[in-house]
Amino acid sequence: MGHFLLESVWLVPCYALMGGLLAVPWSPGIIKRTGPRPAGYINLVMTFLAFVHSASVLPITWNQAPYEISIPWLSTAGLNLSIDLEISSLSVGAMVVITGLNLLAQIFAVGYMEMDWGWARFYSLLGLFEAGLCALALCNSLFFSYVILEILTLGTYLLVGLWFSQPLVVTGARDAFLTKRVGDLFLLMGVLAIWSQAGSWNYTDLAEWATTANVNPTLITLTCLALIAGPMGKCAQFPLHLWLDEAMEGPVPSTILRNSVVVASGAWVLIKLQPVFSLSPIATSAMVAIGVVTAVGGSLIAIAQVDIKRCLSYSVSTYMGLVFIAVGTQQDEAALLLVLTHALASALLVMSTGAIVWNSITQDVSLLGGLWSRRPVSGLAYIVGTLGLIGFPPLGGFWALLKLASGLWTTEPWLVGVLIIVNTLTAFSLTREFSLIFGGKPKQMSDRSPEVSWQMALPTIILLGFTLHLPLVLQSLSLLPTWETLNKDVGLLLMWSSIFGCSIASVVYLGNVIPKPIRFPLKPLQDLLAYDFYTPKLYRVSIVFTVAMISKLADMIDRLIFDGIVNLVGLVSILSGEGLKYSTSGQTQFYAFTVLLGVGILGMVVSWQYWGSDLLNLMF
Amino acid sequence: MQLQYFLLLAAALFCIGIYGLITSRNAVRVLMSIELLLNAVNLNLMAFSNYLDSVAIKGQVFTVFVITVAAAEAAVGLAIVLAIYRNRDTVDMEQFNLLKW
Repeated sequence: MGHFLLESVWLVPCYALMGGLLAVPWSPGIIKRTGPRPAGYINLVMTFLAFVHSASVLPITWNQAPYEISIPWLSTAGLNLSIDLEISSLSVGAMVVITGLNLLAQIFAVGYMEMDWGWARFYSLLGLFEAGLCALALCNSLFFSYVILEILTLGTYLLVGLWFSQPLVVTGARDAFLTKRVGDLFLLMGVLAIWSQAGSWNYTDLAEWATTANVNPTLITLTCLALIAGPMGKCAQFPLHLWLDEAMEGPVPSTILRNSVVVASGAWVLIKLQPVFSLSPIATSAMVAIGVVTAVGGSLIAIAQVDIKRCLSYSVSTYMGLVFIAVGTQQDEAALLLVLTHALASALLVMSTGAIVWNSITQDVSLLGGLWSRRPVSGLAYIVGTLGLIGFPPLGGFWALLKLASGLWTTEPWLVGVLIIVNTLTAFSLTREFSLIFGGKPKQMSDRSPEVSWQMALPTIILLGFTLHLPLVLQSLSLLPTWETLNKDVGLLLMWSSIFGCSIASVVYLGNVIPKPIRFPLKPLQDLLAYDFYTPKLYRVSIVFTVAMISKLADMIDRLIFDGIVNLVGLVSILSGEGLKYSTSGQTQFYAFTVLLGVGILGMVVSWQYWGSDLLNLMF
Repeated sequence: MQLQYFLLLAAALFCIGIYGLITSRNAVRVLMSIELLLNAVNLNLMAFSNYLDSVAIKGQVFTVFVITVAAAEAAVGLAIVLAIYRNRDTVDMEQFNLLKW
């Protein structure tokens, strides 16, 4: 039985895909009588099936060598593409996290999407996402990872654009698609370039190749930079981060999934490619630089936001930046741990704030307040999510950050400093959001705010439980450092930075010393952070402007020059016809004249050989 | 007397006929120019028949035919001119340019 489950674990993505497909008939245009709800229930069942299947396989794979499956896909001259699957405890564990979080997000959506007709579209896209992510987790081939990433990019476009009657949704979905697409296309260049060097797209083969590879440093650096660009767009890293901000226009339940899991899909590819990146020191330092800039920038921007969802989306960028730092410094395990703890904590935070948004309507934190006494469950979930995300022992985020920081402690201490700063800033921003939503006096928008129904509360509480139990789970899997190997200095630093950030934020926002809304002494700086370093403007004046200008120029050249040349041929024909028709003068005598002229000229040409030379001699 | 002079005279007559054919505005004068052309041809035929074929004189037979056909052609031509004149009250060739572009 166990063996059968192990061998058929590739069915997990198929369940989700099937759920997605089965949801389609309940689109309002097809089945009109039942309403859209069966679409959601079918997906819940399929996701539950996927979760149970992957969770039951997880113990079997534990401490076992990875079990590999290779399904031939395409075989042409000199190129054999096979879908390589790796069933290891890591990939199955990732599937458990994905299906588990998807299950919770789908239960949450049953409550959240209560008054919405678009369940079929929504759930089929969630199914597509779940299938894509599970397939990505299983996939052991760079090529098929790329294929899945592109499908997920399309999925993001459709899911962000769910409520397409809102103009901001349309622009957000457009940016999400194009930004991620640009990264994916660079990734494709890298994928194609690595084939000619390594001769394989299998991650295992690539890792083996990387240990003994002797390649041109410039070539491998360029390849690695292209390979980084894909995850850079996926993980919403600077400067390809604007899409995540705009993707917050989508429905909250999909945000749960995106913030926790989808952005991590880029990180997953990045982690898998880490052996290749280690070939190029420039690429790894670029990765670290991107990570540092995003982590610091994202956490600073998150502090200055007023939108409840955008506060969180920038901390997602921040944590993915930390993953970049981890991969850039060859710490795969820390990166994976970071992805795991971030997924749980971030999903919990989005669920909690989503529940607030659902019946407080506004997303503006400055219009919320005083919810703690009436919304204890959401508040507790928010607190646990915060503590699980930042470095606060004994919750998961602490161990992930500790692992990363201990690895950096001896080699690159300045990165530990960055980590501490980011941790402080994130602690500050999350506590600020908590204080603004739950602390203080109730405001008009939050005056009467009941706790949400069980469909939204239940997944929140379950996930809260998971987040709390994560350290125990990690300990039972002996993933936590023992007391002897614990780097106590780093641990203390992290802990104190968290406490420092949290307490400053609570003093500032819960105390009455500083008048609200808070004005930073430097108004331009506050605006700079609030407007995300004016990234939309930056895009507009650089890339968008250039592409638009070149497009207009090309359009003009096409219409004026190329079309003009072809039209000129037609015009010349028409004009010549129009002009030459006057040769038909209607005068019979003129016709007679032309006939005689023709005969005369023809006669002269034909007989030229008999008298031409004499004529020429006579003339010259 | 040589053949060439006859031929040259005939050619000159032909050219005069052509000139009249192309430049005359009166339709009857155009028909007269055509008669000049035909006479130039007849001169040629007679000259060739005299100098090159004085036994069988096929050229003279041809000439008789040409004169006959020319008479018939002039009759039809004048009939056409009359028919046009009845419709349009003029024999000016420059007024007959209705069939143009």
